[in-house]
Amino acid sequence: MHEQLETLLEMQDLHMQRRALEEGDVREFESGVFDMSVEEALAALEDKISDLERRLTGDVQERYRRVIGSRHRAVVPVLGGVCYGCFVAVPTSWASESDPNAKMNVCQNCGRFHYYPP
Amino acid sequence: MQLRDFFSTDTVDLALKTETKDETLRALVGLFHLDEKSESILFKMLKRRETLGSTGIGRGIAIPHCRSLVVNRLRVAFGRHAAGLDFKAIDEKPVHYVFLIVAPPLEVSNQYLPVLGKIAQFSKEADVPDRLAGLESPKEFLQLLEEKGV
Ligand SMILES: [Zn+2]
Repeated sequence: MHEQLETLLEMQDLHMQRRALEEGDVREFESGVFDMSVEEALAALEDKISDLERRLTGDVQERYRRVIGSRHRAVVPVLGGVCYGCFVAVPTSWASESDPNAKMNVCQNCGRFHYYPP
Repeated sequence: MQLRDFFSTDTVDLALKTETKDETLRALVGLFHLDEKSESILFKMLKRRETLGSTGIGRGIAIPHCRSLVVNRLRVAFGRHAAGLDFKAIDEKPVHYVFLIVAPPLEVSNQYLPVLGKIAQFSKEADVPDRLAGLESPKEFLQLLEEKGV
């Protein structure tokens, strides 16, 4: 897997955790069942996301900042040949490579980074 | 929805030989047979979740969990550790029983929280730690879930 894609995936997971914690039911669950201090957790996630963002290089960092947007989804899976960012079909030649995650793929339509789940 | 339906005997390890919390998370992630990179991303995310607060809920039980793009459906695993592990649990006691739950960010049926909730509920039943201690095969683990009707 491309190293920058790996960083982006990790960032994506952290964004997701942060967004989830901002929502009522997850927040309640994490603080109720697991005794988590949610405010501290949100700050820690924010720090880590910034850390990782600094690890992105030139073009990737620029694109990341452009596509992250308000919904915080810069990397989206390609499932069944469809981009899960914009739901437009991805040209099949890309998806048929032996390890499509070895290089950075971006959506020609919405500009988000593509990830091909195993 | 029954908890039993999410587990299978090949994701149950009743004889974990790990020494640390990290090794244990890795061992349980290994039960999903993902590729190496996916395993390492998943491990990182689980570890990160632990740094936000331990998932050791007391009575020897821990429920590490996270969502990640590297899994394409909800996955669960169970591990038992005879000697007990330092999980920095709420009651500071060693952890013997570990339920691992991971889910993709987008789930059609949104089962992640309900499954987490059911495992938490199961874990709170008075006799569960003793019953888990007495299990002799993964099959008995599945039978216990069935019996409890969670
Ligand atoms: Zn797209």
